[in-house]
Amino acid sequence: MRTYVLTRVAIAVLTLLGMSVVIFVLLRIAPGDVVDMIFASAGYVDPAAKTEIQRELGLDRPITVQYARWLGEILRGDLGKSYRYDIPAWQVVRPRIPITVELAILAMLVASLIGIPAGVVSAVRQDRWMDYVMRILSLAGLSMPSFWLGMVIILLLVWGLGWIPALTYVSPFQDLKAHLLQFLFPALAVGSRSSALIMRITRSSLLEVMREDYIRTAYAKGQRERVVVWRHALKNAFLPVLTVLGIEFAFLIGGLVVTETVFNLPGVARFLVEAILWRDYPVVQNLVMFIAVVVILANFAVDVLYGWLDPRVRYG
Amino acid sequence: MGDGVKDGTLLGTGAAQATPHARLARGGPSLWRLARQKPLGAVGAALVLLMVAMALFADILATQDPVHTNAAETLSQPSRQHWLGTDYLGRDIYSRIVHGARISLVVGVASTLLGAVVGGMAGLLSGYVGGATDLLTQRVMDIMQGLPLLVLALVMSAALGPSLANVIIAISVPIVPRAARVIRSSVLAIRETPYVEAARALGVCHARVALRHILPNTMGPFLVLTTAQLGSAILVEAALSFLGLGVPEPYPSWGRMLSVSAAEYAQKAPWLVLFPGAAISLAVFGTNLLGDALRDVLDPRLRQA
Amino acid sequence: MSMQRGGSRSGGFSAFGGRLAILLTLIIAFGGTGWAASTPKYGGVLTATESDTPPSLSIHEEATIATVWPMMPCYNNLVLFDPFKKQENVGTVIGELAERWEWRDGGKALLFHLRRGVKWHDGQPFSSTDVKFTFDVVREAPGAPAKLRVSPRKLWYENVASIETPDAETVIFHLKRPQPSLILMLAAGYSPVYPAHVPPAELRTKCLGTGPFKLKEYRQGEYIDLVKNPDYFIKGRPYLDGIRYVIIRERGTRYAGIQAGRQDVAYPLEIAKTIAESVKKAVPGMVLVETSTNLNDNLLLNFRRPIFEDARIRRAINLAIDRKGYVQAGRQGAAVLGGVMLPKPYGVWGLSEKELGKLPGMGDPAKNKEEARQLLAQAGYGPGKPLKLSVSTRASSFYVDLASFIIDQLKQVGIEATLEQVETGIWHAKLTRRDYEMAVNNTGLGPDDPDANLYENFKCGSPRNYSDYCNPEVDRLIDEQSQTPDFAKRLRLVHDLDTRLQLEGARIILGWAKEYYLMWPYVKNLIPHQSVYNYGRMQEVWLDR
Repeated sequence: MRTYVLTRVAIAVLTLLGMSVVIFVLLRIAPGDVVDMIFASAGYVDPAAKTEIQRELGLDRPITVQYARWLGEILRGDLGKSYRYDIPAWQVVRPRIPITVELAILAMLVASLIGIPAGVVSAVRQDRWMDYVMRILSLAGLSMPSFWLGMVIILLLVWGLGWIPALTYVSPFQDLKAHLLQFLFPALAVGSRSSALIMRITRSSLLEVMREDYIRTAYAKGQRERVVVWRHALKNAFLPVLTVLGIEFAFLIGGLVVTETVFNLPGVARFLVEAILWRDYPVVQNLVMFIAVVVILANFAVDVLYGWLDPRVRYG
Repeated sequence: MGDGVKDGTLLGTGAAQATPHARLARGGPSLWRLARQKPLGAVGAALVLLMVAMALFADILATQDPVHTNAAETLSQPSRQHWLGTDYLGRDIYSRIVHGARISLVVGVASTLLGAVVGGMAGLLSGYVGGATDLLTQRVMDIMQGLPLLVLALVMSAALGPSLANVIIAISVPIVPRAARVIRSSVLAIRETPYVEAARALGVCHARVALRHILPNTMGPFLVLTTAQLGSAILVEAALSFLGLGVPEPYPSWGRMLSVSAAEYAQKAPWLVLFPGAAISLAVFGTNLLGDALRDVLDPRLRQA
Repeated sequence: MSMQRGGSRSGGFSAFGGRLAILLTLIIAFGGTGWAASTPKYGGVLTATESDTPPSLSIHEEATIATVWPMMPCYNNLVLFDPFKKQENVGTVIGELAERWEWRDGGKALLFHLRRGVKWHDGQPFSSTDVKFTFDVVREAPGAPAKLRVSPRKLWYENVASIETPDAETVIFHLKRPQPSLILMLAAGYSPVYPAHVPPAELRTKCLGTGPFKLKEYRQGEYIDLVKNPDYFIKGRPYLDGIRYVIIRERGTRYAGIQAGRQDVAYPLEIAKTIAESVKKAVPGMVLVETSTNLNDNLLLNFRRPIFEDARIRRAINLAIDRKGYVQAGRQGAAVLGGVMLPKPYGVWGLSEKELGKLPGMGDPAKNKEEARQLLAQAGYGPGKPLKLSVSTRASSFYVDLASFIIDQLKQVGIEATLEQVETGIWHAKLTRRDYEMAVNNTGLGPDDPDANLYENFKCGSPRNYSDYCNPEVDRLIDEQSQTPDFAKRLRLVHDLDTRLQLEGARIILGWAKEYYLMWPYVKNLIPHQSVYNYGRMQEVWLDR
């Protein structure tokens, strides 16, 4: 187990290092830098002032020097200063993280609550009308553009009820009901797509498990279908579902970008896109690395859970 | 624990259908039977065919020039002249959707194929050669997968600038690692089968074994993967266009057609929001249905069974 | 020019006459719908809308309404356009930090008598030093005590020779030549007085002014909270306890927020006519004010490209674009036709209908397009050899749609144009490099004034003269109108210039956007002007609920 963990960590560090190069280079290939953005509103760019600010921010140095400096800063735990806001990057990012994490967890919860039961029903009623309805619904869920779904939800709410969730962040300690309402709809918008995916995976892995010998034995022993499905089969079918949850997590960030924008939630995902458009290098670089770490940890957690749920899996 | 197990389950699981192998073996005429046994798959195939037909014959099917603006007929309702109404510039929505199929299909197919082929080759190499090559390739794939898809596409299209080719490249990148994983895991499985071992024992060179014996056997998962990714590629293109980083005008793209109109004209001209949204959803729905059916039919493990 | 009435609203309000004037203005402004206006009530927090996190909070370093709108309540100008008058002109300028002002030295000096007892938000006393500091820094005078990162309106004060402060309550702007427009530029929302004791760089992330509101909290990407300044120098103002500007990037959500009552008032820009009408239909009590924005949509031709040296080609392009079509397709009917100055009835300096009618692209589109084709043929282009050009614009829906319209118009006369989409953030950098062939752009102007517009956008060598149109004769005329004190005479000069610039295609004006400002009926005394940049002080606004 210990060598396994060590190997995983070594691999993770290597991956992160590679990722840092990729994001660093990509950002610098993108045309323009923050200085152009600073001058964007003024309507013209003064070349002398531009050079001066570039020198101030260290953007005039060779790219390798800039990269080395960034790595040095990370190692020292310094996340740099946001070019755009002129305050420490961490200060801007920190309050946004819990919002995105909460949204992601709620979305996953919504997705699982809808997706797993639907998948089970669909598998148990395989090739009957219920199965078809569920499959069509889940496919429809997968087929809708998420940016569109969020917008449609907002529009329907405002037309139907003349009401929309709060547009400034409401803390749960301040007003729990408003807080939950604020997160419910975006979680639905993001979760719907994941729920479709989870439903499909649950269905297919359950079908597969149910063909295995021990399930047949359980049936042969006269156990009732409900018991067999929920107690024996689902436990094993849960493994691939877990995998999807792990992988979906990385995806989720993409879906969250638009959802956070549409529901005006001040989360990390939306902020990341704004930082890209602003060429706010320190913020983008460090946020991407942060997300990568979260994704790696999520995958690791999934693997550990795997071993826990399925004794057949051993770490070697 | 290897990644292969995960990916195998992720993708390779299929519904327990009766003897797909036998059906496939009979070839052409069985298509009809296939359609009867997999009605949803047939619907999907029909939708995809419809989209392909729209893309191929857009010039014939369209009733008007899709970029022609007409100030006198902005936001007009669906009518005999404009089947699906007109947009805020007075352009014919039906004609734009028909031409938009071309963009969605070109971007979808090209980016999926590009991503799947590059990823597939990496997966083949990684799975067959193993060792250090495998480790290195896997790490590269990790890097590509660890970056959120939309963010990656966003940075790519910012870096490359919005053009048809660049959008295709940007969308293909996230597909590479997924294709690589799937192919690698099935290569790993096939590598240990008796006939591959036999071929190697007979002294067949590695390249030949890999290309002749292993590659064809990965076609099932490959096809399943590409159809599954086609749908999401279309969606990513729509999202990128929505963010203003997609395929530039004057090409009519479904995502672009939705971008502002959803908010601004939804109440006054719902057809503006309804039809492009339906087009995207139906196209993705079709590819997903087809992908499901293909997976059921082509699942490699079912064939081995 | 004679001395102006400089008193502010403070004293006038308690007097009967002042109240009557305000009531009358209200009746005009709200067309009777807002006739609940009785005695103003104190208290309440106004929730306003902001489109995006402002690039910075420093008004003098930015040229966007995203900064001016939430920061104007924090500062004061020397003079300001009367918040109660819909149309801004030289007669609606009232005093703020300046109590009175007078022209001297044959119009070559402008003297301000400053208010006494004014304090900055940090308690420091305000004096003439602050005024001199601000405008020396803005105009980048030699030896200025500080330097802005960028000074977008430096050109406004090009004619200022020096600023003199004989004592703490007096400031004199000495000019190189007479310039009656100076007072108008000083009355714009873009001209707050900054504190001399605070480095301007600090004002990018906070605000420290003399204004009716103070900055309470600024959450990037979320909101800007302002709170009432209890020591404001005008007694009894402001009425509100505070203002919250909620930052909402997504337009659809912004509309939904207003409609659902999450916000009390809209953002001054980017409300499409269709959406405003939908909201009004859903909430019949909503106040919908149609106004102009002092923003024009335009097509830039890069004069550095040899192809545009040919006047025939410029004219052909100018003719090809049907302006009435633009109003309908580009702006859904929410625009007015005009030249380089804001047209009537909103603007003061716009061309008359008759003059406008003679400009290219205005008349019968079929005839215009026919003439365009002939011109192109003369220049050697035709069906066999089409003219191929590229049109650049920002990669956001509005611009892309407008560019699509332009491209189609050009196609109809046989010009094959392709579209290049440029990320919004790097758009101006690209224009500054003159790295484009044709560009679809829009230009916002602060005050509705010829000097504020012509120097910046049409004079040889101005950085924001993106097309690099350069004509010494035009430059001379710009200077001439600038120092003409007689309004009628100056108007004639401006009209001649306007016509000339349009005929030469210096910057092809497509039209001027109209705006549909939305607010809930309980919001009183918020009166949109013809320019979006100058009515955000909020000191007179109150809530009737």
